[in-house]
Amino acid sequence: MSRAIPDEIQIYADGQMRLLKLSAEQRRQRVHATLYAHQLPLNTRCGGKGVCDGCMVQLVRGELIHAPRGRRAVANGAPITVRACEYTWGDGSAAEIHIPDRSRTAYQPQVLTDFHIRVPYAHQPLCDLDGIDQPVGAAIDVGTTTVALLLVDLRDGRILSRASAFNRQMDLGDDVVTRINLCRSDASMLPRLHEAVLRDTIAVLIREALEKAGVSADRLACITAAGNTTMQHLLAGVDPSPLGVHPFTPQFLDHHVIQADGLGAPLHLLPGTAAYVGADVTAGVVSSGLVYDDGPSLLVDVGTNGEIVLKHGDHLLACATAAGPAFEGAGLTHGIRAGDGAISHLQIHTNPLRIEIEVIGNAKPLGICGSAYVDLLAKGVATGLLDATGRFNRQCPGIERLLCQINGQPALRLARGRGSEPICVTEYDLSRLLQAKAAIAAGILTLLDRAKLTPADIRTVYLAGGFGMHMKTASAIGCGLLPGFRLEQIELVGNTSLAGALATLLDRTILHEITRVSRRIETIELNLEPTFEDHYIDQLLLPSFTAEDAEMK
Amino acid sequence: MSQMQALCDAIQTGNRNEAKRLTQEAIDAGLNPQDILDKGLVPGMYAIGEKFKRNEAFVPEMLIAARAMKEAMAILEPHLVKAGIQPKYRVVIGTVQGDLHDIGKNLVAMMWKGANFGVIDLGTNVPPDKFVAAAREHDAHIIGLSALLTTTMPAMKETVAKVRAAGLDKVKVMVGGAPITREFADEIGADGFAPDAATAVDVALRLVA
Repeated sequence: MSRAIPDEIQIYADGQMRLLKLSAEQRRQRVHATLYAHQLPLNTRCGGKGVCDGCMVQLVRGELIHAPRGRRAVANGAPITVRACEYTWGDGSAAEIHIPDRSRTAYQPQVLTDFHIRVPYAHQPLCDLDGIDQPVGAAIDVGTTTVALLLVDLRDGRILSRASAFNRQMDLGDDVVTRINLCRSDASMLPRLHEAVLRDTIAVLIREALEKAGVSADRLACITAAGNTTMQHLLAGVDPSPLGVHPFTPQFLDHHVIQADGLGAPLHLLPGTAAYVGADVTAGVVSSGLVYDDGPSLLVDVGTNGEIVLKHGDHLLACATAAGPAFEGAGLTHGIRAGDGAISHLQIHTNPLRIEIEVIGNAKPLGICGSAYVDLLAKGVATGLLDATGRFNRQCPGIERLLCQINGQPALRLARGRGSEPICVTEYDLSRLLQAKAAIAAGILTLLDRAKLTPADIRTVYLAGGFGMHMKTASAIGCGLLPGFRLEQIELVGNTSLAGALATLLDRTILHEITRVSRRIETIELNLEPTFEDHYIDQLLLPSFTAEDAEMK
Repeated sequence: MSQMQALCDAIQTGNRNEAKRLTQEAIDAGLNPQDILDKGLVPGMYAIGEKFKRNEAFVPEMLIAARAMKEAMAILEPHLVKAGIQPKYRVVIGTVQGDLHDIGKNLVAMMWKGANFGVIDLGTNVPPDKFVAAAREHDAHIIGLSALLTTTMPAMKETVAKVRAAGLDKVKVMVGGAPITREFADEIGADGFAPDAATAVDVALRLVA
């Protein structure tokens, strides 16, 4: 068959088949690049380096060439799973490729636009409103993965509309370090990343929000944005390369105004503190109220780069901890980001052993997102399904019905997925999750060591960010992600970066406050702290059964 | 169960208190420090490394075992020195310039100690010249370079070049770390590459053989 139509490429995605005709030049491209050019962007989380499993596709028929080794991959009806970023199309041969939903970035992300502003603010907008009839402003949280925007009436502070989307830089590289590295290795990448976030993401969201609110573009007077230091460099079009290596020196941290044609108004970047404690964190320190808290209190944002700030007396101490992307589902067998079809929560019932799942959007499950993994760790150890090292406890009654094998690895079946493949968690997945939760927990404990405090001494833990909002707090405590804390200490504060951007938009004195805070925060480098490694290794275990676990519902 | 078997098990399961207690007991009982190393600690680390290669142990368990090993070694080391026992091979290890992440590097260092290598750990953010100087000073057989950030991989390349330029002809260079691939190792002219800490032992043994 492949001889009759030698250059036919069939792509199956979303239950549809597309035929691609490729030029000789396109055939030398990597598969993910070709798909990207055909509006089928894949989850190239590692930037197409062949180290993550985000761009896995199935070659059902035909052949591809493994570029690094020049080997052919040939399929004849029995699908072979390959990383799209490692293969080219080869010369003139046919191929039939199926793209599983979880390898695509096209689905809508779940973005948090909820927050509380816990500081008093006056009505004194950041920009002058003279000459603009019925002025509106936009406040933006620029995340590495997602961007969230609020459109606000600047006369009364009313929120007119919300919009959010993936940061289009995702198409070029998944995480901050990958994007910094793109800039280091290729001068053309800085303008591409700059445009991806400014023109392809923020300008699009502004148009969408204006349209939703029925507001004409000429009423837009001012924009504020807070992001991590790398995002702010890329927004400003400033090379972030120095952020990639010690001593991690930012090219700028202060309040910075961008005038870009496509935006329709000046964009104010809020001030940050350090390379890995950015404006998103300083904005959060103010908007969460941590800065005015008598303390000792903590602000914790659980993410790929987990940021932790301790307020102790007048002292603000911060660190960033490299949790990695496991809580976003990256690198895990069936992990996906939160979004429709993600298993988001689970309950474990005993006698008989049964796992009950909750799926976002009431859809058929596609995969598992971070909050469900946190539930599994906490409830798994509490019910005896898991032992302290994150292994399936073979003595747990009824477990054998839930266990299966994936690639020779013992796996726990959570649900039947689309098609024949069940949705599972492997012991390897659990080991990755333990490493992620240990990084956060050890970061918290190391900061507390600096102030000679223990978790019991902490008045409030302000838990920020989308992941913090969606995971069950009891599970975060139960699995030791928030080690040794009690439920009543935890307060969810939502998207504090967005809250800070909004507060600044409405009250210019907040900008001064954030500026002052950004200069006051002392940052520490965890890897240079003597107690960090010991805490990290301790926290690789799940907490043993305690009374608190028993209270978990 | 013999005392050495118990020590071996304590290392493997990462029970650091038990590992320290058994090491001290063995010393107090007058056992030869070399035997404690060869029959207790080394087989313990070897066993966890083998499990890792078979996917029966993962990074968390390796780290927990390595910490038990490290603490037992701290008790044993002065006795090895006193007895004039020196490892046959010496390795210099460090995280390359610009990188501060050292948990992976520390794990490799413990695995090497567990395989009876003398390990000179230069820590993190180590400039190329410091690797060269340490390799000279300690007459090292191997230099081990670690990087976690993709952004510090160029520093690894530079370090290999410096070692070559320094004319340390008999010193082998091994590289590793999350973003490092065999292709990259070949490209920068490293003598050895290990995808994980357990394999790092095999590769090092092969390089000195």
